[in-house]
Amino acid sequence: MTALRVVDLEAGYEPGLPIVRGTSLAVEPNEIVAVLGPNGAGKSTLIKAIAGLVPVSAGKVLLHDRDITGRAAHHLAHEGLGFVPQTENVFVNLSIEDNLDLAASILKVPKKQRLRDLYDLFPDLARQRRLLAGRLSGGQRQMLAVARALVGEPKVLMLDEPSAGLSPKLVGIVFEKLLDVRATGVTIVLVEQNVKAALAIADRGAVLVEGSTRIVGTARDLAGDPQVAALYLGQHRGGS
Amino acid sequence: MLQLVADGFIIGSVIALGAIGVTLVYSILRFANFAHGELLTWGAYLAWTALIGIVAVWGPAEPLGPFSFGWPLLVALAVSAVATAALALLVDRLLFRQLRRHGNAITLIMASFGAALVLRNLLQFIYGAVPEYYSREIQVAIRLVPRDVLGGLRITPDQLFVLGLTAVSVVGLHIFLTRTTVGKAMRATSVNPQLARVTGIDVDRVIRATWIIGAVLAAVAGVFSGLTVQLRPQLGLDLLLPLFAAAILGGIGSVYGAVVGGLIVGLAESLSVPLVGAEYRAATAFVVLIAILLIRPTGLFGERT
Amino acid sequence: MPDLIGLLSYGTFFLVFATIFALVVLGLNLQWGFTGLFNVGVAGFVAIGAYTSALITAPDYPDQLGGLGLPIPLGWLGAMATSGIAAFIIGVAALRLRHDYLAIATFGVAVTLQLVALNAKGLTGGPFGLQFIPKPFAEVIDDNLAWNVTYLAVAAALLGLSYVALERLVRSPWGRVLRAIREDETAAESLGKRAFRFRLQAFVIGCMLMGLGGALYAHFVGYIAPEDFLPILTFQLWTMLIVGGSGNNRGAILGAFVVWALWTLSGNALREIVPSEYQARAATLQVVLIGLLLMLILLLRPRGLLGEETVVSRHMRDEAADTAEE
Repeated sequence: MTALRVVDLEAGYEPGLPIVRGTSLAVEPNEIVAVLGPNGAGKSTLIKAIAGLVPVSAGKVLLHDRDITGRAAHHLAHEGLGFVPQTENVFVNLSIEDNLDLAASILKVPKKQRLRDLYDLFPDLARQRRLLAGRLSGGQRQMLAVARALVGEPKVLMLDEPSAGLSPKLVGIVFEKLLDVRATGVTIVLVEQNVKAALAIADRGAVLVEGSTRIVGTARDLAGDPQVAALYLGQHRGGS
Repeated sequence: MLQLVADGFIIGSVIALGAIGVTLVYSILRFANFAHGELLTWGAYLAWTALIGIVAVWGPAEPLGPFSFGWPLLVALAVSAVATAALALLVDRLLFRQLRRHGNAITLIMASFGAALVLRNLLQFIYGAVPEYYSREIQVAIRLVPRDVLGGLRITPDQLFVLGLTAVSVVGLHIFLTRTTVGKAMRATSVNPQLARVTGIDVDRVIRATWIIGAVLAAVAGVFSGLTVQLRPQLGLDLLLPLFAAAILGGIGSVYGAVVGGLIVGLAESLSVPLVGAEYRAATAFVVLIAILLIRPTGLFGERT
Repeated sequence: MPDLIGLLSYGTFFLVFATIFALVVLGLNLQWGFTGLFNVGVAGFVAIGAYTSALITAPDYPDQLGGLGLPIPLGWLGAMATSGIAAFIIGVAALRLRHDYLAIATFGVAVTLQLVALNAKGLTGGPFGLQFIPKPFAEVIDDNLAWNVTYLAVAAALLGLSYVALERLVRSPWGRVLRAIREDETAAESLGKRAFRFRLQAFVIGCMLMGLGGALYAHFVGYIAPEDFLPILTFQLWTMLIVGGSGNNRGAILGAFVVWALWTLSGNALREIVPSEYQARAATLQVVLIGLLLMLILLLRPRGLLGEETVVSRHMRDEAADTAEE
């Protein structure tokens, strides 16, 4: 059984203009997989399409061998898929507690126990549970976003650039926390620009170029792969 | 002076209840609904129909205590609230939902403008243009403050009823939004629809809840307007600008802002009468609107743009 | 044999109205079709033009301001100027904000002007409005039909002139910027203050055309009253634009003629069918019918009869995709 399998996926915002063009990916249970690639490669669109936020025009998505292709985002949350968007990933007008509490009510999980478990995992959040989420600092906000996505005890947790906007030190703390999350049995897929930080915690990585998977390998192999480095170098040159 | 303030609060109550609907629809569905005023009109007239039906079946009832109306009006109000909610859901299903799928917010405004005309003219076709009343009982106004204190204050029991039920509605809505899952889901969806979806919130359900709440409050506001003034097919159209002004003044998307905004616009209308004359009363809302757009477009309680 | 003269007279009458509407719809198209500005107070800006021109050109009104008795072209220019100034004030207040705010503010303009028209008797003549608005060439042309035809020629010439001018404008770099602003909020934001200025220019020019339309109407009919400028007028004009196809000047003109024909025909039909005592009530059904037509077009053929000609370039879509990706 694979935790998440993507087969020849095609997806995009406008019909006839796919941004993800034939991507395939298989994620084993309890694995951490980093999806890498130059800017505009379609990484973000890929996980949004998996999460049901971007229309899929071809291909398949399987969650624990169940076909979830094209299902609405809110159904997927109930099916055990957690998603942490890159920005605006907490409800700023609700308190920390209400962010988690709302998710628990919606997903119909035993509230008290689940929140206690999450507060154990994220003690910083427990200390200020009445604080409005909009008042949180970047790092804490990211922690709350992860905690919120974990409320429904998802089988697979997907994160869109969790390092974005964080200082290197905070990136370290957040990524450490992802290892703790994995230790609770969750499978993790993260899209990252920060290749070094991502490969440091990932088991495997997949490099996306122009909407399709170009290279797949273990994190160690990818970290030393000159081709991967070249892709990013090329991008930096083109981008400047 | 006191009298003007009291009058302002009464008209302000009607505006506040209507403005809550405008602001809720704006924050969840993201468009300025020009048809919202018609929900007030329909609410008022549907209650009138229900009232006639009730009286036809059970016969006329004695007025309740000092009020001009008996229990049938309260039942009629409940019936109308349900029917107005059904009407709002129907319009959403036939029109707005279809446009949401592929249109943008501005097509929705356009459609709501069209829906307003259709609803208003349909109502006028059914009920005619002659003003109606819920009750022709004459009410004795109660003197609360003697004439030598700030000009005195007289108020009818019906007006007190309006103020009281408005307060109850606002408190009820507050509890709903802060304590219930649907209420919290609405607040969550209003700031971040995409995150709401990935959290597992069925946004279609939230939208239905929004229409129901907006329409119920609109029905209440419409009945209040009919009770304290009269029933006219233009009732909602004339209130539309004050509703928008109140919602923007309070900070569009903010429910409490809409309430405060409604009361302020009501007061401004009432206090402007001695200055500019009753005929320009309705223009006060426009002045408030332009002033707030120029000075603080996010409104009193609005943080988001 | 039917009364040919009567028929011709009716035909020119119909065409003059349609032409005036088409002129106003061109202004609306510049605002909405090309710039994405949502004006819900069209009737208000038309009213400003009509009243201004009447006050400038009519003979001295007793008991009230205005009636300067100046030449008609001055009245028309004045109409455009006052509508433009009103648009400028509203634009400054609302155009920097979300598009909904412009809709609400312009709606407020229409409501407030309606109140002014009804109540400011010293300026607008109150509910009875203004009369004795001079008809151009009336002293030279006696014959009613001939005068109608002449006026049609003048209106058509102004419509043609506006059409040519607008076509050149929207194809100029200025017009391309407008469309870019409409298509892409991010592009608009990157233009910052300049985007606001472009919007304001389009809004003011559009409203000036509406004012001119109002003036043409006033001088054709000869009298105006507040009830000529109710929200239903705004609604009719919008329906014309949506039916014809917004973003297309020929569509705007076509829409004006088609919808005005439908409106006139349905009105006539109702008058024929419905007994006179029910006509006021039946008139409301006419609005319902046109409202349903608008909604059906929005739902089934949102691009109208003639859609927008220029397709968004591939390049721009790619850019949009990139923005979404980040």
